[in-house]
Amino acid sequence: MSTAEIAIPIPRPRPHALGPLATLARRRFQLTARTPRELFVPLLTPIMFALVIAPALKTALHTDASYESIVAIGTVGLLIPLNTMFSGLSVIVDRISGAQPELLTAPIPRGLLVVGNLLVALAITALQVGVLIAVAVARGIHFHATAGGVLWFLGAGVLFTVGMYGLAEILASRVPRQEEYIARVPAIAILPWFLAGALFPITALPGFLTWVAKFLPLTHGLALMRYGLLQDSSGLHAIWGMSDPAAMAALSLAVVGGFALLLTAASIRVFSRAAVR
Amino acid sequence: MNAIEVTRLSKTYPGGVEAVRGIDFQVEAGEVFGLLGPNGAGKSTTVGMLTTTIKPTSGSARLAGFDVSREPIAARRVSSVVFQEPVVDRSLSGRRNLEIHARLWGVEPHEAVARINELAGTFGLADLIDRPADSYSGGQRRRLEIARALVSHPRVLFLDEPTVGLDPRIRAELLEVIASLRNRTELTVLLTTHYLEEAERLCDRVAIIHAGRIVALDTPGALLAGLGRQLVELRVDGSVNSALASLRERGVAGEDAFAVGSRVTVPLHEQSSGDAIAAIHELGLAGAISAREPTLDDVYLRLTGDSLAAAA
Repeated sequence: MSTAEIAIPIPRPRPHALGPLATLARRRFQLTARTPRELFVPLLTPIMFALVIAPALKTALHTDASYESIVAIGTVGLLIPLNTMFSGLSVIVDRISGAQPELLTAPIPRGLLVVGNLLVALAITALQVGVLIAVAVARGIHFHATAGGVLWFLGAGVLFTVGMYGLAEILASRVPRQEEYIARVPAIAILPWFLAGALFPITALPGFLTWVAKFLPLTHGLALMRYGLLQDSSGLHAIWGMSDPAAMAALSLAVVGGFALLLTAASIRVFSRAAVR
Repeated sequence: MNAIEVTRLSKTYPGGVEAVRGIDFQVEAGEVFGLLGPNGAGKSTTVGMLTTTIKPTSGSARLAGFDVSREPIAARRVSSVVFQEPVVDRSLSGRRNLEIHARLWGVEPHEAVARINELAGTFGLADLIDRPADSYSGGQRRRLEIARALVSHPRVLFLDEPTVGLDPRIRAELLEVIASLRNRTELTVLLTTHYLEEAERLCDRVAIIHAGRIVALDTPGALLAGLGRQLVELRVDGSVNSALASLRERGVAGEDAFAVGSRVTVPLHEQSSGDAIAAIHELGLAGAISAREPTLDDVYLRLTGDSLAAAA
C-alpha cells in the first residue's frame, strides 16, 4: 500500500488592524514627503497673514500688540482647513493614478485607508502649526501659554483637524476630478474663516451672521485656541455668553469633538460606499 | 473544492445597464481560466465582483470557498489582482510597492524580504527593484505588478486584460511571464482578454462572454474542434441567406455555417476543402474563396455574429 503526503495549506493569521494601519500611514507619509507642494503651499497664506498682514493691520488700525497674537492664532484656523483640503486632493490623485485600486482589494476594512490618511494629515498639520507658531514667536509675537492652556489649544487643534479631514475625504470621495475638488476648496476652507472671528470678534458681524458664526466649528476652535494660548476668553464669551471660561471651553470642545466624530464616521462610510460600485 | 465558483452572477448598474446576466462557471484549483470577449462584454465587471469592488445585483461567487459578498475580507485574503490600467505608487520604489502589498496581506516581514528578492529575480526586476516605479518602462511596470500580486502567495490570481495598451514587443515579453505562471501548480489564474492568441496560448479553458452572457465554455481545442479541421470562407455579392440555403441544399454547408455581412463561413467536418470549393464554384456563388484552419474568432463569430477583433 502506498502512502501520499497531502499538503494542507495553513491559513495565514488575520493581521491585527494596527499593522495595516501603520503600513497605510507610512505609505501616505512617504507619498506626501515626495510631494513638497503638500507640505509648503498650505503654509504660505497663513504665514503671510501672521507676519505681513496682521502687523500692517495693527499699524493701520492703531491697535495694540496683542492684535498680532490674535491674528496669529486666527491664521491657524486658515492653515488647518487649507492643509486638510490639500490632503484630500491627494486622495483623488491616489484614486486616479495611484495604487488605491490595489488597496481596495487588500484584506483589510476599507475604513483603515481613511484612518491611515487622517493620521498623516494630523502629523503634517501639527508640523505646520508648529512652524507657524515658531515663526510668530521669532517675529516677536507673544503668547501666554500654560500647561493647561496648551492642552486646550491642542485639543481644539487636533479635533478641528480631524473634522476638517473628514470633510476633505467626503468631498474627495464624491467628486470625480481634481478640478472640481479645487473649485470647492475656497467655499469650504476660506469662506468660514472670514466668519469665524479669525481677524475680528464675531460680535462685529451683522446680527444674523453672528448667529451663523456661532454654529461654525471653526469659531469654537479659534475661541478655544485663543483661550489656550492667549488666556483670552472673549471669543468663548461671544459664543456662549456665560461667565465661567472653563465651562464655556468645555462646551466648545464638545462642539468641535462632535464635529470631528461625525465627519470621521461619515467620511469612512462615504469612502467605503464609494469604493464599491 | 473549486478555486472559483460563480453561480447565476448578475450585475445591473444604476441606469439599467445589464453588464453581467446570470453567468455560471467553476474553475478548478491550479487551472488557468480565460474570459474572452470584446470591450463591454462584462469581463471586467465579473472580475470586479470577484474582487469585491463591484457589488453583485444577484447570484453568488466564492473564492477558495469564501463568499465574496458575505466574507469579502477572507475572499480578498486568498486573492490578488493585476489591473487593466497601471496601478502602482509611482514615486515609491518597486520594492516598497511590493512591501506594502506584503504587509497588507499579512506576510511576515522576514518572509516578505525573501519573497520579494525571489520574485524580483524571477521577473527580471532585480536591478531595478530599488528604483522609483515611475522610472520603469511599461513592460517593467507590468512585471512589477505581477510580482506584487504574487508576494502574498494568492490562491487565486486575477489578470484583467494585462497586455492591453502595450507595444507588441513588451506584450510578447509579458505573455512569456504569464505563461510561466502555469508552472505554479498551487495558483489558479483567471485571465480576461480580448486577444484570441492569448486565450489559446495561456488558458486551460475559455469562457466566451458576449453581452453579459457566457455563450461557450470549453477548452480552446474543444471549441475549435466544433468547427472541424478546416473551414471555407467566401464573399457573396447577392443575398447571403440565399447563398447559405443553396450551400446547405447542395450538402456543402451544415447548420453550423454562418454569415456576417457579405462573408459566409462554412465549417468542413468530413469533406475536403478542394471538394467544397469546387462545389461552391459550380453554384456560382462567390468571387473570392479561401480555406483555412478555424480560430477562436470563428467560434466567437458563429456564436455572436460579431467579429471579436472588430468588437474589441
